[in-house]
Amino acid sequence: MSASVSAKRGAISLTGITRIFAGTIPAVDHIDLEIQAGEFFTLLGPSGCGKTTLLRMIAGFEAPDEGRIVISGREMQGVPAHKRAVNTVFQSYALFPHLNVEQNIGFGLKMQGVKAAERKKRVDAIMDMMQIGQFATRSAAQLSGGQRQRVALARALVNEPEVVLLDEPLSALDAKLRAELQIELLRMQKRLGMTFVFVTHDQHEALVMSDRIAVMSKGRIQQVGPVLDVYEKPKNVFVAEFLGLSNIWAFEPVSAHEARTAIGVLNIGENLTGPGMAMIRPEKIWLYSDNAFEAGRPNMFLGKICEAIYMGASTQYRIELQCGQFLTAYDTNNQAAERSWRPGEAVAVELKPENIMLVEA
Amino acid sequence: MSNIPRGIRRGLFGVSLPVYALLYLPLSVIAIFSFAPSLHHPGVNLAAYGELFNDATVLAALRRSITLAFGSAILGTALGTLMGFGLSRFRPAKGGGFWVGALPSLIIYTPIIMPSLVFGISELIFFNLVHEYTGLLSAGLLTMGIAHVTFQSPYVALVVYARLTGLDPNLFEASHDLYANPIKSFLYLTIPVVRPALIGGFLLAITLSIDDFTISFFTAGPGSVTLPIYIYSAIARKGSSPEINALGSLMIATVIGVALLYYFVTRRQQQRSRQIPAVA
Repeated sequence: MSASVSAKRGAISLTGITRIFAGTIPAVDHIDLEIQAGEFFTLLGPSGCGKTTLLRMIAGFEAPDEGRIVISGREMQGVPAHKRAVNTVFQSYALFPHLNVEQNIGFGLKMQGVKAAERKKRVDAIMDMMQIGQFATRSAAQLSGGQRQRVALARALVNEPEVVLLDEPLSALDAKLRAELQIELLRMQKRLGMTFVFVTHDQHEALVMSDRIAVMSKGRIQQVGPVLDVYEKPKNVFVAEFLGLSNIWAFEPVSAHEARTAIGVLNIGENLTGPGMAMIRPEKIWLYSDNAFEAGRPNMFLGKICEAIYMGASTQYRIELQCGQFLTAYDTNNQAAERSWRPGEAVAVELKPENIMLVEA
Repeated sequence: MSNIPRGIRRGLFGVSLPVYALLYLPLSVIAIFSFAPSLHHPGVNLAAYGELFNDATVLAALRRSITLAFGSAILGTALGTLMGFGLSRFRPAKGGGFWVGALPSLIIYTPIIMPSLVFGISELIFFNLVHEYTGLLSAGLLTMGIAHVTFQSPYVALVVYARLTGLDPNLFEASHDLYANPIKSFLYLTIPVVRPALIGGFLLAITLSIDDFTISFFTAGPGSVTLPIYIYSAIARKGSSPEINALGSLMIATVIGVALLYYFVTRRQQQRSRQIPAVA
């Protein structure tokens, strides 16, 4: 990425960022990352993968042991948190207990020396936008979880920062509220055009919200890319499994497009150069009744339903193939769905070559 | 509570009555007898109070007690607050083991569990030694004040520490994140959120100082008789008297007043700024 792009307001450039806590393995290990101005970028990974530490270094709460952080073209080395045009929404919300909603939201403006009249105007505007005006004089303790979340977000957005950092801001909310706020967050981000860096361990949330995702594990970035790429073409087994269910087999090539796996020989769309791992997502597997089985048709196998888990819009099946191996498949329950399957029923499955991806171990 | 069987609940209530009686009967006896015209003569008059307020020795002792209480409480609160902040930085939960985690708090709490007799005697010997070699710190209000600050500050530290550890640690980061430099963060966040603890600690320090006898007795000098010391010597000389009862009653009233004041001040603060439970 050229320097002119990362000098844009809200662009973040991380080079060789490393953070080691006393006597342990690195929490963040030589991370290079370019976050573009105005994008909704998600750091996704299991707890302890270093995503929150990385966020805290961007915020300025912690200093990297090595590496450079550049925000909007400015080097952040030695710049304390209160001098960064970056605002954080904390997982715990961290609303000030001695201030009411209005004062909480206005805190950042007050600290920047914005005059009371101007402050009031901006606080009122953001409260309107977030529909929390009716709580203006309540203390944070008198709010519900969702309302606190909105206040925490408003408190960050009102400062019109270059970057908004969000540390699992929705994790304490129930599913319905969470879905609502996901949409609201996205709307606010598109409307204000600020760069959002969002940390979550929830792959579904990451898929819903993000323009691009970085999947992290053990302090390193496993894969960065647009949501669709990371989900459909995971780079390695970790990414494939973290972003959803997948069927993965080790293989030995038989020819340029044929691979021997535990379930049999598979035709694969890509060129095979050596042994590796092949992956297919459960929703990419075709299910037929067993009388549709054609012996000799590539990538088609007979099996038996062992388990059917109804999930509303779809059903998850665990299928035992004739060779004794298991695989997981989804079938949608929409109007086009032929039928649903019951445990014990014989089925035929087809794995189309274009849906089989090669992944690194 | 409601799942405790009724019989046991009644039994516990029955036990609590004599406890309350033991706590408050002696206090009420003093209050009642302070209105008696003379010892062992029932009746109501305010003669004892009148004499008390005309007694120059009592008034001087009262002035000294108040000076001592406020002076030591101000210093004790300041030092105790700093100690509370220090402790919250090195709390054992953050690790650090014995030397960094547990030891600092043990050292600070020692004056609380130390018998006050031992504490008083060691202060006496220490001040005497210092005086002998340097000529400074002759026994008097100053040495009493130093001793009072020493035992007040751990109590204040405890109160402040409890408040700080009850707060979401992200609050301080949030203030920096919202453009508050360290000084502004201290003024606009730290001071307001620990204010109830500061007030509570200060009032606690005052009551500790006003009614302290043991340590005061050992660190006092000839010209520094405070109320508790005056009461002790008066009783030692001529036994209990209506004036002493009156003085005792006034002190009880003062302490209850301070306790109520603390209750209302902190309750008002808490209503305005109830602790927000940290999530996850």
